[in-house]
Amino acid sequence: MKCVICGRETGEEGYCELHAKAYESIDKKYDEWKKALEISWKEYLSEIVKNPLTGEWAKEVAEYLTKSGEKRGVTKG
Amino acid sequence: MEKYTLIITEKPDAAQRIASALNENGKVERKEDNGVPYYVAKRDKEIVVVPALGHLYTVAEERKGRNYYPVFNFRWVPRYAAERGAKQIRAWIETISKLANDADMFIDACDYDIEGSVIGFCILKYACGKKESVSKRMKYSTLMKEELQKSYAELRPHLDFALIEAGGTRHEVDWLYGVNLSRALTISARNWSGKYATLSTGRVQGPTLKFLVVREKSIRSFVPTPYWEIKAEVEIGESVFEAKHEKEKIEIKTEADAVLNACKGKNGQVEEIDVKRFQQKPPVPFDLGTLQSEAYGLFGYRPRRTSFIAQRLYLEALISYPRTSSQKLPPAINYEAILKKLSRVPKYKKLTKELLRKPELKPREGKKKDPAHPAIYPTGKLPERDLDDSEKKVLDLVVRRFMAVFSEPATKQSMKVCINVNEHHFYLRGRQTLKEGWLRFYKPYLRSEEVLLPPIEEGQTIKVKKVISEDKFTKPSSRYNPSSLLKKMEETGIGTKATRANIIQTLYDRKYVREERMVVTNLGFDVMEVLEKYCPPVVSIKLTSELEERMDKIQAKREKRENVLADAVEILKPVVQELKEKEKIIGEQLSNAIKRARLEERIIGTCPVCGTGKLMILYSRKTGKRFIGCTNYFKGKCETSFPLPQKGSVRPLGTNCRGCGWPTVQVRIKGKRPWMLCFNPDCPLKRERRKRIEMRNMR
Repeated sequence: MKCVICGRETGEEGYCELHAKAYESIDKKYDEWKKALEISWKEYLSEIVKNPLTGEWAKEVAEYLTKSGEKRGVTKG
Repeated sequence: MEKYTLIITEKPDAAQRIASALNENGKVERKEDNGVPYYVAKRDKEIVVVPALGHLYTVAEERKGRNYYPVFNFRWVPRYAAERGAKQIRAWIETISKLANDADMFIDACDYDIEGSVIGFCILKYACGKKESVSKRMKYSTLMKEELQKSYAELRPHLDFALIEAGGTRHEVDWLYGVNLSRALTISARNWSGKYATLSTGRVQGPTLKFLVVREKSIRSFVPTPYWEIKAEVEIGESVFEAKHEKEKIEIKTEADAVLNACKGKNGQVEEIDVKRFQQKPPVPFDLGTLQSEAYGLFGYRPRRTSFIAQRLYLEALISYPRTSSQKLPPAINYEAILKKLSRVPKYKKLTKELLRKPELKPREGKKKDPAHPAIYPTGKLPERDLDDSEKKVLDLVVRRFMAVFSEPATKQSMKVCINVNEHHFYLRGRQTLKEGWLRFYKPYLRSEEVLLPPIEEGQTIKVKKVISEDKFTKPSSRYNPSSLLKKMEETGIGTKATRANIIQTLYDRKYVREERMVVTNLGFDVMEVLEKYCPPVVSIKLTSELEERMDKIQAKREKRENVLADAVEILKPVVQELKEKEKIIGEQLSNAIKRARLEERIIGTCPVCGTGKLMILYSRKTGKRFIGCTNYFKGKCETSFPLPQKGSVRPLGTNCRGCGWPTVQVRIKGKRPWMLCFNPDCPLKRERRKRIEMRNMR
């Protein structure tokens, strides 16, 4: 199976090892953002896509999640 | 013919200096044989000083050929027999052998460290015909005449065989790792794609790349979190200062807003003033690592460059031997004499005088030791030629550091003023130097700023001009730069002071990393993935540093070369076996990575015309000429193209033009300074330049 973002080989799931790590980081940080700004998952994704400090892989995953409209907790990695 | 003493040095400059220092009758004679220079010094007995060119011998496989692995049988051979581009080594070995025939005494005067000892040993053993056991050893830390004469008068009776054994083993182990792993990677990729590309890894290179990959992964997966910083602009006297809220990071926006609202329009009152005096001790003398790190921070020189510069300064007898781990300055180097010599330089005159007035000269020393050499120090000798800018800078840095270590501590004062604004505490901080001490000696290289506060009293009312809340985000860890990576290697005990800088350069040469803030390329990731997946022991930092320790033990005669070599082979054998078995799959992965890397190298940036394609350096099928074109051309969506110079090399710069924001390329033509090229024909900077030229012509 290929990674839905970069096409690298993956196991059974949709993200490669690198993008799975980025997804994990996005998922983990949402609670902090929610507490800080009271924002929704969708708003959060759009914020981190815009942020220049967001890592390249995290940005790719956030863009993918925004486009696919996936809700939080539907993991691919 | 009368027999002479043959002295062997590591480099030609050292040979000349040693011959001059030992010569007592007339002038030193410079001779040449087959293009190899050597020097004849005359005293009670004739002395011939012949230089090497660094290592003349190296480790190589017993069976010829580069296209096979595993390979565990090796021997020491002349470098010209093992390396392409080392042809001139043959002439050096032949000349040394010839000179050895008429010598009745042999002295190894190569640098007194692990590499120098191996260089001298191999020459004496192989080129001079087994003279290693009868040879004597010169030990010196500077190429100053007096020290060289003393070293010659107090010759060491034999070579340091423990050091040689440790150095030889290091070469052998590194060769075993390097040749087997690099060949496995290169051959796998070549067999799969049919194309050759050099891929390499090694005992130290693998774990070093791992540091970078781990950091890069965390940066690329990083998600920042928001926080807020509250600052108050306060007016004291006629000046405005910035005071920070007691809670440095406020993690909830509503909480930050509440502080802001509570402080708006309110004045503050000084609640407490905390003044602390403290002493800042002088720095410790430079060892190679700290010199490299300081030169990187101050001048931006990569560790390898600093190492080369320091080596040049040493060969001109301006500083002591730079490949040292010592931070100690023994009294035997004669501090006073050095300072007196330095006082001949106008800019050091006042400073040295101040030190020479002290009743006792005692340096502040660091913890690190080196059994062979002291810390790096200036000899006080004046340069015999015009030094280039970089040499001047490094020499001045070494001189000022040397002076600073003998000086007094600096006395500083820090002040923390607590201002209460409507029950919220803000801190105003000041810092000033009360007594300069060693800072005077090191002034051009100081990086801390003073913040002077006006007189303030407790209970004083402070006017708050405004209170602001700044939106902030947490930042990812910084990328390594060559200097911080070198420090990391030192801390974890991998590599040696002589090899670390070169290993870092190899990572750039192999295109595993790019840019000054070291960004791991996709090729770097793929190589690491292969290594981690199929041969984790070779990227294990623990295993590498354990092996380093054991090699150090050989030097201390607490470990045997045979054991270390046998264990290294024991680790390698299954690893190489696994690589061999998985050659196809590894070859496919690496070939794809190389293909992607080559493609990436040609991508300049996003096409500013269509906004979705990428601009790339392409080659015309008809003419073979290069140009810039958009990748969307192949989809029939965008026909953007720009011409490029056909001479020299062109590479994407990764930065955008400051005039129009388009991506840029760098053009390099031999003999010319590289320049940045913006290929936007309508770039405002280009228009301005054209106008300026027109105006000039009109005038």
